Amino acid sequence: MSERIVALHTMDLTWRYASGEAMERFCAALCERRIEALQCDGCGRRYLPPRPMCGNCRLRLSRWVPVADEGTLVAWTVVHVPILDGRTGELRPAPYGMGLIRLDGADTTLNHFLAEANPARLALGLRVRAVWRPDLRGAMDDILHFEVLP
Amino acid sequence: MRQVAVIGSGQTRHARCRDDVSQAELVREAAAAALADAGLRPADVDAVLLSNMELFEGRAFPELWVGEGAFACGKPCMKIATGGTSGTSTCIAAFHQVASGMFDTVLVVGFEKHSEGHTQTGMALTDPFWDRAVASGALGNFALSISEYMAERGVTERQAALVAVKARRNAAQNPHAHLQMPELTVDEVLASRMLAHPVRLLDMCPQSDGACAIVVASGDRARRLCPRPAWVRATATRHEQPTLGDIDRRLCSMRTLRDAAHAVYAAAGITEPLAELDVAEIYEPVTYAELAWYEALGFCRDGEAGRLIEDGVTTMDGTLPVNPSGGVLSSNPVGASGVIRVAEAALQIHGRGGSRQVEGARLALATGYGVYAWADAIVLGAES
Repeated sequence: MSERIVALHTMDLTWRYASGEAMERFCAALCERRIEALQCDGCGRRYLPPRPMCGNCRLRLSRWVPVADEGTLVAWTVVHVPILDGRTGELRPAPYGMGLIRLDGADTTLNHFLAEANPARLALGLRVRAVWRPDLRGAMDDILHFEVLP
Repeated sequence: MRQVAVIGSGQTRHARCRDDVSQAELVREAAAAALADAGLRPADVDAVLLSNMELFEGRAFPELWVGEGAFACGKPCMKIATGGTSGTSTCIAAFHQVASGMFDTVLVVGFEKHSEGHTQTGMALTDPFWDRAVASGALGNFALSISEYMAERGVTERQAALVAVKARRNAAQNPHAHLQMPELTVDEVLASRMLAHPVRLLDMCPQSDGACAIVVASGDRARRLCPRPAWVRATATRHEQPTLGDIDRRLCSMRTLRDAAHAVYAAAGITEPLAELDVAEIYEPVTYAELAWYEALGFCRDGEAGRLIEDGVTTMDGTLPVNPSGGVLSSNPVGASGVIRVAEAALQIHGRGGSRQVEGARLALATGYGVYAWADAIVLGAES
């Protein structure tokens, strides 16, 4: 049988997204190594990422509260397969640790990289702290990863 | 509302790569099979609903390119996309169209050709400000949630492996299934490559090329055309907040699926799902999810899912066979996967399940699961 004919296309694309007011303030604070959450006046939940509405209470949010760059590891994994970086389309080298972190002062959790990639040294409840990049740019990757505190 | 039933279904052979057909041809394969199963001609269909996650293939408005393959020209046609629930949501939309009296006969076709595009890209294009820099796709999301679930409910890797074995062995009895592994053992699952701790290769669903179609008809038509219509007893869909971190202890709480299940059980008069349901086709993209769904769906109390799988309660000869088809763990053309759940549940009620038939099945549950943001539940039943 003859070989099947397939079409192969390769593209280099750019997307451009507006942040909105709440995310704009959040990103500006990151430039000063500060993390801020928006709190719901209805349920009291302190939201990261900050957003202008509480989906559960259906209220507009405007109360900003400070959040620490330290918190508790509430979930973790070590990823062993290369996964796409959604900003560049490049594969991220593996293995790497990932966690869901509840920062002190927030009620939602944040998913981010962990400096630790050895499953034997990871556990729920560990205390972790953000490691910031020296040249802050006002984006989530201003935090390089979270390190486990002794 | 009028009575509604599923009166026929059709599926392709699901496989890693179906280079032998274009998307439209794949869709036509399932659509034609479903119409033949229902004893209908294309002209008998009033409207067509499609389910597909087009970003996976990178082909815009698939409803335009493949509608012809679903016999949609000159008829009302639209597409529904809600992640993994796309297929079940589309079936529910068809049920509503027929129940409302808008149409008498609706054809639903779900399809995906993962081999043609970038499933990982589709999963990686998350919120550009919050988690795109750090997101690790469905795999990373699941692995994170599983660590919480295991710690809280005491589920083990071996119990998860039992789910993998059940799925792939059941799939060996399903001529449409992608991964058919009749001899698979727990040790082989536990020896498979680690993808994201503790999820191994054989814990995860594959990416498949495939399509599935069902024919939905109103009460009178269904009785005329089908000896054992699968009557729609209840449906529910639930939506959730947008980010992974919004949902506390996701696999443990799973409020979307819990709420949807409660709603359909209440509407269908089901008080003891494990005893009353004859069969379930649930959307389990990873082994651990099936265990978590046992709890969310009320098949057992919280913390008992590991025992349920160990005791064989959900195997083909158990109290409640779960996924006789082999489930999403054995075939996962995402846009079709939810339609497959409904088609397989209906097949059981029709009594046409062949070697995967659950003897005398009269009441079936089908569920959908989309990222962490959606859940659907559907109860189908035989004539009461």
